[in-house]
Amino acid sequence: MSVSEFLETLPSYDKNNFSRFHTDSTNRTCVKRPSVYITTEEIPSEQIIVTEKTNILLRYLHQRWDSAQNAVQQKKRDQIAENNIEDAIPKKRLRIELNTTGL
Amino acid sequence: MAANCYVVTAHKATGVTSCVTGNFTSGKDLNLILAKNNRLEVHLVTPEGLRAIKEIGINGKISVMKLFRPPNAKKDLLFLITMRYNAMILQCHGDSDNFDIITKAHGNVADRIGKVCENGIIAIVDPLARVIGLRLYEGLFKIIPLDKENNELKACSIRMEEIEVFDIEFLHGCANPTIILIHQDVNGRHIKTHEISLKDKEFTKNPWKQDNIENEASMIIPVPEPICGAVIIGQESILYHNGSTYVAVAPPVIKDSNVCCYARIDTKGTSYLLGDMSGHLLMLLLITEENADGTITVKKPKVELLGEVNIPESITYLDNSVLFIGSRLGDSQLVKLNKVADESGSYVSIMETFTNLGPIIDMIVVDLERQGQGQLITCSGAYKEGSLRIIRNGIGIQEHASIDLPGIKGIWALNLASTEGINDTIVLSFVGHTRILTLHGEEVEETDISGFLSDKQTFYCGNVNSELILQVTSFSARLISTRKKQLLSEWKPRADRTISVVACNGSQIICAAGSELYYLELIMDEIVLKKSLTLEHDVSCLDMSPISNVDSKYEKSEFVAVGLWTDISARILKLPALEELCREQLGGEIIARSILMTVFDGITYLLCALGDGSMFYFNMDKNSGMLSDRKKVTLGTQPIVLSTFRSLATTNVFACSDRPTVIYSSNHKLVFSNVNLKQVNHMCSLNAEAYPDSLALATDNTITIGTIDEIQKLHIRTIPLGEAPRRIAYQEASQTFGVITMRVDTLDNGVLCPSRPSASTQAQSSSQSTLSSLTLVNKNNCPVLPDMGTEIEIHNLLIIDQNTFEVLHAHQLPPNEYALSIESCKLGDDPNYYYVVGTALVNPEESEPKIGRIIMFLYEEGKLTQVTEKEVKGGCYCLVEFNGKLLASINSTVRLFEWTAEKELRIECSHFNNILALCLKTKGDFVLIGDLMRSMTLLQYKTMEGNFEEISRDYNPNWMTAIEIMDDDTFLGSENHFNLFVCQKDSAATTDEERQQMAEIGHFHLGDLVNVFRHGSLVMQHSGDTTTPTHGCILFGTVNGAIGLVTQVSPPLFDFLHLLQEKLSEVIKAVGKVDHKFWRSFNTELKCEPSESFIDGDLIESFLDLSQKDMELIAQSFRENPQLLPFGKDNTNGGIKEEITVNDIIKFVEDLTRIH
Repeated sequence: MSVSEFLETLPSYDKNNFSRFHTDSTNRTCVKRPSVYITTEEIPSEQIIVTEKTNILLRYLHQRWDSAQNAVQQKKRDQIAENNIEDAIPKKRLRIELNTTGL
Repeated sequence: MAANCYVVTAHKATGVTSCVTGNFTSGKDLNLILAKNNRLEVHLVTPEGLRAIKEIGINGKISVMKLFRPPNAKKDLLFLITMRYNAMILQCHGDSDNFDIITKAHGNVADRIGKVCENGIIAIVDPLARVIGLRLYEGLFKIIPLDKENNELKACSIRMEEIEVFDIEFLHGCANPTIILIHQDVNGRHIKTHEISLKDKEFTKNPWKQDNIENEASMIIPVPEPICGAVIIGQESILYHNGSTYVAVAPPVIKDSNVCCYARIDTKGTSYLLGDMSGHLLMLLLITEENADGTITVKKPKVELLGEVNIPESITYLDNSVLFIGSRLGDSQLVKLNKVADESGSYVSIMETFTNLGPIIDMIVVDLERQGQGQLITCSGAYKEGSLRIIRNGIGIQEHASIDLPGIKGIWALNLASTEGINDTIVLSFVGHTRILTLHGEEVEETDISGFLSDKQTFYCGNVNSELILQVTSFSARLISTRKKQLLSEWKPRADRTISVVACNGSQIICAAGSELYYLELIMDEIVLKKSLTLEHDVSCLDMSPISNVDSKYEKSEFVAVGLWTDISARILKLPALEELCREQLGGEIIARSILMTVFDGITYLLCALGDGSMFYFNMDKNSGMLSDRKKVTLGTQPIVLSTFRSLATTNVFACSDRPTVIYSSNHKLVFSNVNLKQVNHMCSLNAEAYPDSLALATDNTITIGTIDEIQKLHIRTIPLGEAPRRIAYQEASQTFGVITMRVDTLDNGVLCPSRPSASTQAQSSSQSTLSSLTLVNKNNCPVLPDMGTEIEIHNLLIIDQNTFEVLHAHQLPPNEYALSIESCKLGDDPNYYYVVGTALVNPEESEPKIGRIIMFLYEEGKLTQVTEKEVKGGCYCLVEFNGKLLASINSTVRLFEWTAEKELRIECSHFNNILALCLKTKGDFVLIGDLMRSMTLLQYKTMEGNFEEISRDYNPNWMTAIEIMDDDTFLGSENHFNLFVCQKDSAATTDEERQQMAEIGHFHLGDLVNVFRHGSLVMQHSGDTTTPTHGCILFGTVNGAIGLVTQVSPPLFDFLHLLQEKLSEVIKAVGKVDHKFWRSFNTELKCEPSESFIDGDLIESFLDLSQKDMELIAQSFRENPQLLPFGKDNTNGGIKEEITVNDIIKFVEDLTRIH
C-alpha cells in the first residue's frame, strides 16, 4: 500500500468541513483569541476525587493480615466441618476458641 | 515592608502543550481543544476552517489532557491533570455558541510523600472508561476507578515494581483494564503488561511481556479493536506486539530524529501519523491480513515520509485530510495532506499558522522610531523554528500603494460610476483648491467632475446615493448629479458669512458659520434650509452621525453634537429644532477639534477630541441624548481628527494625529490601539476594486492606501531565522542588532554541513574564528570531533540591520565553542561601541566548562572585525557594561574588566561566593547576581578601593532563571518552579547580620518559567499622564511564549486590589474547582506558602467581563469596607468618603488594563 493509497483512505466525518476554507492567501497567520469563559454560577461537582492516604506498604500489610486471618478462619472452619463429621463436638466450645484467636 | 506588586499578562501563553479532537461541545460538533499552559482553547471545525469559541482558564498548569467517552454517552468528557496534581473531569452543557463547563469530578491526587517521576506525569484513560491511570511518583501507579454510582471517586496507588518507566498505555479489547508499559533496567528496555483488578486495587497478572526491545524505545501506541495489541516506537525500529504476534521493521526514514508524538487517524486503528523532533511528518500504516476465522493479524508496520511541518508537540487529525500541528517550539499549524505530492515530494500544505512566541529565550526593549513607545524584540523558538519577533502595542497597516501629494486637508472616497459600495474616486482637498483622482484598477488618474467646484477647499464630500454627490466648501453646499453631470442645487449662507465647519450624513447637513448654525436637509434633489440658530460662541466641531442604526448609510440622525470655542463645551442638540438636550463643560483651555457619535457593541458613545491630543468620551443615551460616564484619555500630542471606518464587519474609529490610534470595543470596553504609522492627518475608508476593504490615509506629504490587520492589541512581526536565537543586544551606533544563534550541523565525511539553510548560512558576508590563540586549549582540553553523522551545535554572532532585519554578517565560532552572552557597549575612553560576546568551550566529559572567551567585535562600515579576545577560566554566562567597564559572570565568579588604552581587557576585581552566577543586573554602583541555586546576592562596587563588597544575600535555596532590580532596595527574581519573588535589602537594620540578609517580602506562583526580565513598557509613555496608578514597569518573557509585566502600586491601592482580588476569586467559580489561593501560592519542592504582596492582574481584569449584577455584588462589599477606597476624589467632602460605585471600579480597572 503506497502513500497515495494511505492518503486516499483518510476519513471524512463531514465533507463540508474545511470546504469553504479561504484559499486566497495560502499561509494565513492567526493570532486572534476567543473570548474568555467566566462563570459565577456555583454548580457542585457530581463526584469528588479523593486519594487514599494510606501508605501502600501499610495497605499491603493490612491486606496480608486480613488474608492471613481469612486463611486461619477458613482452616478452622474446615476443621470444624471435619470435626463435625468425625465426632460432632458442640459448637459452643469452638466459638470460644475462635474468639481467642481473634484477639 | 511590602513589595506591593501587580503582575499581569500582556500576551497570553501561545505554546501548545497538548491538543485533542473530539465531540466536546455536543455530539455533533467536531472540536479541537488546545492546552496552552494554564488555558484551554475550544475550537469548532467548520466549513470555513477552525473557529475559536472559548478560552477557559484553569487554576494550574495543564500537564495532561485527554478526551474520553463513557460507554453509551453522546459526547466526550475532558480529563485534565495539572502540574500540582489537581485532577478534573469537565463536561460541556449547551451548544457551541453558548455553553457552560461543568466540573463533573475534581480533586487533588497528590501524595504526601513520593519521588516525583523524572519523565513527567503520565495520565491514561481506559478505552472503555472504566478507570483512569496516573503515574505521578516513582514505583507507584495510581488508579481512579470511574465508578458512576458513588459520589466519591476513590483514587489509590498500586505498587509498580518497574522504576524507570517511559510510557504507559491501556490496551484495547481486554476483559479487565490492562496496561502496557516500557521500562528500563540494567539489562535494557522491556515491555510489560499488567492487568488491574479494580476490586482488589492491585495488579493481578501479567498477560504478556517482551524483554530486550530497542534501547531507545519510548512511545507506545495502543491499537484499538479488532486488531488490539500495541505499536512500540523506537529511534530506529517500529515494533508491533500483541502477546502472540511480533513484527518489527527498521525504516531508515525514522533514524534522522526522534519520534515525539502521534495521532491516530481512523477508528479501525490501521493508520497513524507520527511527528519527530526535526518536524518530519510520517505516516504509519499497519498492513493487516484477515484470517479464516475473521480475526485480523498485523503483517507489517509501514512508515513513509509525508513532508515537513513545524516541530510538533502534539498532532491531531481533524477531518477531510486536515491536521492540527500543536507546537511548543514554534508556530502551530493547520495543515492539509494532499493526495498528490508537490515538486519537492511533500504531501503537506500549510493552511493556517498560529503565532507562538515561545520559548522566549531573551528579549530587549527598544524604541527605534523614537516615538516614546517601546517595542519588544524577542529571541523566540528553538531549532529550525527560531525567529526574532517584533512585538509592539498597536495595529499594523499593510501598505499597498502610496502617492506623493503634500498639503492634504481632507480626503473622501466616492462612487461615481461603479456598482453600489465600490469606490472608484478619491477627492482630496487642499488650501484653496480640490483635486479628484479616479482609480482604474491599481492606477490613479486625475480627473474632473462637471458641476464640482475645484477652485475652493472642500470641507465635506460624499455620495448621497449612487447618482448624487454632495460637496460643501467654505462658500456653499452643492448637490451634483453624476448622471446628468451638473449642479442640481446649491445653498449659500448669508453673503457676509463663510462656512467654517460642516458635518453631514446621507440626507442631512449641519454647518456652521462662526456661531451660526444651519440645519439643511436634502429633499427631492434639493438642499433645503430647515432651521438656523445662533449659539453663544463660535462652533469648533460638529457631528451628525446616525446612531439609531449604524448599518444603514442613509439613515437620518436625530441629534447633532457640537463643540464650542470660548466656553469649551460639548453639546447635544435635538433635530430638527436644534434644541439643546445636554451640555458638558470640558474644562481647561484647549478647544474640541473633532466630535463624533458612534455605536460600539450596542452602546452609544460621544467622543470629543481636543487640540492637545487628549480625548473625552461619554456614554450617550440614544433616546434622550443625555451624556454620562465622562472619561478622558490621552492619545497623542497634536489635534485629533476622528473618523469612522469599517473593518472586518465592525465599526471602528480612527483618531488621526501624531500618534494615530484605532478606537474599538472589546468585551463592551473601549480599547485604544496605536497604529504603526508616524502621523496621519486625515483618513477615509476605501473599498475600491483593486484595494478592497482598505483605508486611505493622508500624512503631511503622501496618501497611503493600505489594509488594517485584524484588530488586536499586540502586533507581532516574525523574522524567521531557521536556527535558534539565544541572546540579543541592540547597538544604536551601528543601527544593528547583535544576535547569538545556534544551528545544528551534521558531520559528514569529516566535514561539518549545515542541516538546512538558515540565517547564518545565508548572511551577506561571513567570517570564522579559531581557537588556536588560546593557550589552555591546545594542551589537553582540545575537544575531539565526534563520530560521523553526529549533530553538532554551531554558534554564530549575527549582525542584523535594525530596519530591514537582513543578516548583514555572520561570524561563526568553532565547533564546541558555545556563545552564551552578548552586550553592546562603550568602554573607558574609547569612543567605539563594541559587541562583546562571552563563550564557553564545551567538553562533553566535563561537568562545567573550564575555558571560555570574551571576544570584542567592532562593526563599522559594513565590516565586522575582532578587536581583541580574552581567555577566561570558565563559561561566560552574562556580560554587562558597568561604569564604563565590563562586568562578566564566569562560572562561579563575577569579574570586572577594565578596558585599557592598549585595547586589552584587564581584570580589576572579582567576587567568588557563588555556585554558578547565571545572571547579572546593575544599577549605579550595585550589582545583583542571580545564582543557579543560591538565589540572589547584592554587591556594591567600591570605586575608591576598586573591589566588590557583598552587601546582602537571600539565603533561600532558590534556583534562579532571571532577576531584575526594581529599585535601589527591591529585587525581583524568578525561579524554576514557576514562581516569582521579591527580596529587599534592609539598610536600616541595626546589626550587620540583619543587613547581610535580604528579606523575602513577596512571592507569587506565576505558573510559567520566566527566562528574561527587562525594564520597559509596551504602551506610549505620555508626559504628565497621571491616569495610570502604577510606578515602574518590568516586562518578562516566558518559556510558553507569554509576555507579562510586573509593576508596583501604592499601599492603599494594593489593599483595595487585594480585596477586589479576594472578592473576584469568590464570585468567579474556577473551572475544575481549584482554589485561586492554592494556584497562586509560592510552591517549590521544599515549601508551599500563600502568595504574598502580589496581585494577580489577570484576575483583576476579569472584573470587566462580569455581569452588572455580579459587579454590583462586589461593589457592595466595598461599601462595607469604606476605608479601602483608594480614589483621590474622596477627600473632597471634608474627609468623608463617597460611596464606591460599580462605575468607579470599572474605570479603575480599565485604567489598569491600559498599562499593557
